[in-house]
Amino acid sequence: MAATAMDHDGGDMVTPGELLGNSLTLVAGRGAYTEGRSVRASVTGHRRIVPPAPGSDDQRSTVEVVGHKAHGAVPQPGSIVIARITKVMARMASADIMCVDSKAIKEKFTGMIRQQDVRATEIDKVDMYQSYRPGDIVRAVVLSLGDARAYYLSTAKNELGVVSAQSIAGGTLVPISWTEMQCDLTGQIEQRKVAKVE
Amino acid sequence: MEYVNPLTGFRVDGRRPNEMRQLKAEVGVVARADGSALFEMGNTRVIAAVYGPREIQNKGQQVNNKEALVRCEYRMAEFSTGDRRRKPKGDRRSTEISLVIRQTMEASILKDLMPCSQIDIFVQVLQADGGTRSACINAATLALADAGIPMRDIVTSCSAGYLCSTPLLDLNYVEDSAGGPDVTVGILAKMDKVTLLQMDAKLPMDTFESVMGLAIEGCKAIATYIREVLLENTKRLECQRG
Repeated sequence: MAATAMDHDGGDMVTPGELLGNSLTLVAGRGAYTEGRSVRASVTGHRRIVPPAPGSDDQRSTVEVVGHKAHGAVPQPGSIVIARITKVMARMASADIMCVDSKAIKEKFTGMIRQQDVRATEIDKVDMYQSYRPGDIVRAVVLSLGDARAYYLSTAKNELGVVSAQSIAGGTLVPISWTEMQCDLTGQIEQRKVAKVE
Repeated sequence: MEYVNPLTGFRVDGRRPNEMRQLKAEVGVVARADGSALFEMGNTRVIAAVYGPREIQNKGQQVNNKEALVRCEYRMAEFSTGDRRRKPKGDRRSTEISLVIRQTMEASILKDLMPCSQIDIFVQVLQADGGTRSACINAATLALADAGIPMRDIVTSCSAGYLCSTPLLDLNYVEDSAGGPDVTVGILAKMDKVTLLQMDAKLPMDTFESVMGLAIEGCKAIATYIREVLLENTKRLECQRG
């Protein structure tokens, strides 16, 4: 209920192409774009004005259009994604990106984690099979749009890496250190690049 | 044959020369698609479904890495015309109309916000009674807006012709097959810019201007209707969400 109250402040509904204001007094935020001197809406939704950040040089307010149905997310460089590992090879691992910035997407995108992007230290001594296995769920950051085949992902940070995995015996793996996880059924220890989950 | 009655001024279906057929639109008809719409202009019924932005399926088609790839396919259902059609897609007319719709919608979609992805627009004609091209563009606009894909403006399209020395708005199949000129115009409604202009047959220049002007007025009327439909749909979804 509180969320709806926030959506309605600023009120009026706009459709694509409608004039929201002048680009001298407003900055185009999400759901709006600038064309010459005017700022227009690009999706259907409620118009919302966000006041400028107190320390910034640009004292113009930002106008946003909050739509009921945002289009499916597309991974951008810098966004945190959740992916499932599909293939592990000697120098890279393939993954299916399933969530972008905590928004699930309907159809998967393909990502790739290279050997040098698995962790931050000793990158040339990385063994891919001891970092990931097919079926692991990992949290990664998008490095770039990559080549034609896949986005480039990286897990070279403490909070990135394997979030959830299944052991060989079929039980859930519980993290016990940076590089080890333990099966809860058999007690067997397996190697992974583990994410530090808060 | 007299397409405009000289005494009363009515056309074959009882409309006035500057009167459009009845419009009806419905949003969200295909549940599986990201956005969809059903658009009717008189007896012409068209359904559009939009999928995207999603991963590019055929990497060979991608020309520009920094923009989304827009694909469009136009089909006519076999039962859409009087005689059952043999080849619903792949014939030259369908290929041409697919290209035309794609170029028209590409002018409005903000492609650089979704790099490395693909947007598919599928339009199918369920019932054809003249003006299918325009109905498809209007349906595609509604479907794209329903999918939440950012656009510069609402694209609307309408056709106009010139029979019995009168500019006629929104030709139906009978008037279209009369052999007279048929001007199809597509505009970005609020920004007043033309994205599609097609004509077959020939017209003298000043007559052309009046016919095109009539078509543009028709487009603006459709834009007002489409805007109402979108606002209505958003209000209904918000009520459902609570």
